[in-house]
Amino acid sequence: MTVTVHQESPSDEPSTDPVVPDDAARSVGLPPKPSLFSRLGINRFSGLYLLGAFFVFYGLTESNFLIWNGSIEFVLTEKVIVCMLALAFLVPLTTETFDLSIGAVMALSLVIVNKVALETDLPDGVGALIAMAACLAIGAINGFIIVKLRVNSFIATLGMSTVIAALIRKIHDGGNITAAFGSGYLNFGTNDVFSFKWPWSESQISLPFYFFYGLAVAVLVWYVLEHTPVGRHMFATGGNREAARLAGVKTDRLVWGSLMASASIAGFAGLIYSWKFATYTSSVGGPLLFVAVGAVFFGASQLKLRPNVWGTILAVYVLAFGIKGIGLRYPREIDWIQPLFEGLVLIIAVAVASRQGIIKVARRRNDAQPVVEDGTALQKVIDDIPEQAEKVD
Amino acid sequence: METLLDVRNLSKTFPGQVALDDFDIVIGAGRTHAVVGQNGSGKSTFIKILAGYHQPDDGSWAELVGQPLRLGDGRAAYDAGVRFVHQDLGLVDGFSAVENISMGVGYTTGRFGRIDWSADTARAADGLAVLGFTDIDVTVPVGMLAPSQKTAVAIARALHGWEQDAHLLVLDEPTASLPGVDVERLFAAIRILKARGVAILYVSHHLDEVFAIADDVTVMRDGRRVTTMPTTDLDHDRLIELMIGHRLVRTTRRSAAIAGHEAALKVVGLVGGTIKGIDLEVRPGEIVGVAGIVGSGRESLAPLITGQRPSDSGEVVVLGTPIPNYSPAAAIRAGMAFVPADRLTNGVIPLASVGHNLTVADVKRHWRRGRLRHREEDAECMDLIERLNVKTAGTAIPIAALSGGNQQKVLFGRSLRLDPGVLVLDEPTSGIDVHAKEQILQFIDEIAQDHTAVLVVSTDTDELVQVAHRILILVDGLIVAELSGADMTPENVERTQLQTSKNLESQTNETEPNEVAAR
Repeated sequence: MTVTVHQESPSDEPSTDPVVPDDAARSVGLPPKPSLFSRLGINRFSGLYLLGAFFVFYGLTESNFLIWNGSIEFVLTEKVIVCMLALAFLVPLTTETFDLSIGAVMALSLVIVNKVALETDLPDGVGALIAMAACLAIGAINGFIIVKLRVNSFIATLGMSTVIAALIRKIHDGGNITAAFGSGYLNFGTNDVFSFKWPWSESQISLPFYFFYGLAVAVLVWYVLEHTPVGRHMFATGGNREAARLAGVKTDRLVWGSLMASASIAGFAGLIYSWKFATYTSSVGGPLLFVAVGAVFFGASQLKLRPNVWGTILAVYVLAFGIKGIGLRYPREIDWIQPLFEGLVLIIAVAVASRQGIIKVARRRNDAQPVVEDGTALQKVIDDIPEQAEKVD
Repeated sequence: METLLDVRNLSKTFPGQVALDDFDIVIGAGRTHAVVGQNGSGKSTFIKILAGYHQPDDGSWAELVGQPLRLGDGRAAYDAGVRFVHQDLGLVDGFSAVENISMGVGYTTGRFGRIDWSADTARAADGLAVLGFTDIDVTVPVGMLAPSQKTAVAIARALHGWEQDAHLLVLDEPTASLPGVDVERLFAAIRILKARGVAILYVSHHLDEVFAIADDVTVMRDGRRVTTMPTTDLDHDRLIELMIGHRLVRTTRRSAAIAGHEAALKVVGLVGGTIKGIDLEVRPGEIVGVAGIVGSGRESLAPLITGQRPSDSGEVVVLGTPIPNYSPAAAIRAGMAFVPADRLTNGVIPLASVGHNLTVADVKRHWRRGRLRHREEDAECMDLIERLNVKTAGTAIPIAALSGGNQQKVLFGRSLRLDPGVLVLDEPTSGIDVHAKEQILQFIDEIAQDHTAVLVVSTDTDELVQVAHRILILVDGLIVAELSGADMTPENVERTQLQTSKNLESQTNETEPNEVAAR
């Protein structure tokens, strides 16, 4: 046996030759027949099933639900901002770092871009750049506090969000700002793409630019997390920080960087808000944080069974279409049903995710427990993996 | 021999796996009875059924001192006088011995439910004194106590009230985290208990301990009892044969240092932690062992060399590149690989897959033209898994589902694929079974044959003698002796460690330590 192992395959596609030796192939074996439950992927794809159920149920019972202008376009574009905040929360979470300042950062970005437009002669685009720079700086400060001063991320970002709230009040003394932007700036965000009509439909089908900006951010985050070494290192950092560091991963740098990324994405969410609503209100930001956090945890129980981009996005829209349907059904009750629904989903999602060991909301003693000699504790996790574990050792 | 515990027809089936298969065991009153077996042999399952953590399959039968005992009922076992100290002692580090003991057995309360601290303190001190531990300050947090003292606290808690009713004390891997000297103290406590008529059920990976303390030994394999016999009728190799079911093939060392070559690893004047100034060199192809008792600095050495912990001064040079202090990443870049001690804290990423655990130290290899080649990565992992003989149902399984030995092999694989010029191993075989241990020792030899310089730090003297070309003895943070060739026997290593530490104590400052260390 030579110990050096370099697997360089010259061609782009790795060869499918029997690199898998017989023994190993046998040990992988044929998975035992999966149960109906896992075959249908009811847990991993529960979000998709739920979304389908909403569409069927409300589609049949509410005449406005399946209409593009009635609800679909509304929900798709409305929730881009929440999606951005959720991604902002997701990025540091992969390194087991909580960023609760993202709601405040989004508000900061929004108030800066509005204030610049209202009170200076600078072009709106420059205001947007200033806002983004400010957010990036907040992310860097978060990183400094958490990495260098070793403050728990939960506490650090909670404190930071209050500091930002103070900053916002210093910049702007309350009240709404409206109609401050030029049309060029707004068009940059809101121009429609592929505007067309179905022959049998009266409604105009189109989506604004900012929807695609958001999509681009999601694709970028997905790409980095799932298809680059950096992403792999981030998950390793979140999985066991010291082990990752000893394997040569620059964990401090990654945590710091992920906080800067999260602040940038949250800042961008503020810009999307400015394109979409062209106003500033002091109540923006904070309330969206909890929906975003809920979506990330819900999303972590989906698809890959760890925090992931498309699970998160799916979760946002499952919630949104669910609420939309309820809103159509009980228009007068939606005011209190919506927060109830979102709050309950957050709790249930975290309960499910922590039960499966996907998310360590608080590191428990049990997490450090060694080998599962009889395979009970981890059975849940293993159950969800296609190659069913035949018990070893 | 009077029978204390008699268990028959005990089976336990987990989904897809039979953990215990018609197991039976008889434990004599007042005897120290060891249960040994490889990981997965079913000994833990047996203990857990006894403790009521698992339910046995139907059909089992058990008797304790002639009374029927319902297996799988923790309360019944406790009431019948069976007490447990598990590997993870179950102590709260921030609490004192008094609090920890009271937490387990109930606080003594005075009027209005006020805790009677003086009564509790006396109770804790008495319980520990019985075990021969009169030196414990029962009011300081147990986190500050020595490992053996913590174990004693756990035993004292388990045995609370034993004079009335405890018949059997189960010690599950009690020495897993105990250094040598502390093991002796634990054994002394066990002998005291034995003299008082308490039977001990002793589960351990360390066969030396089995021979040192046990009267009888039961060997388990694949969920069955292979045999039970008096320890005096066995020797070390025979016991291993019984455990693994075939003759043990000992690795013969084939690697050799490459003469005339520049040292691949050079450590100059390293100071930090309990290390007070170390110089050492390892040449390509050479395996250098480091031995030392607790407090000798042994635990600090590998972490300082590899950048796991910051050093105060000194230089580490890997293949000609000086490594900046406290930077594992820089050490790896320079060509060093490292398998740290304490696998669970410092090694594995528990919920990440076996594959991701293997490749984490160098993912870039599979990143080309902006994409991670997942299939190619997976193929490499399958290849490594096969080479290292890792028992796993594929690369996508979370590593936490593997046994300790297999996890350790994965960590080896993580280092091997870096093709390191220098490999530093800290307690490479701790907590794994004999079979996996032999395999790992063989990897070490093979790596050295590939011209890697290997430094092995270990508490396991036999293992060092088996695998190393020379062994450095660490005393008081300094290298005081080097053994090689025919001098390199387990007895010599042990003796040198102890003798030199006594010498150092008796000689004051007459000799400069560095002179002793000069090689």
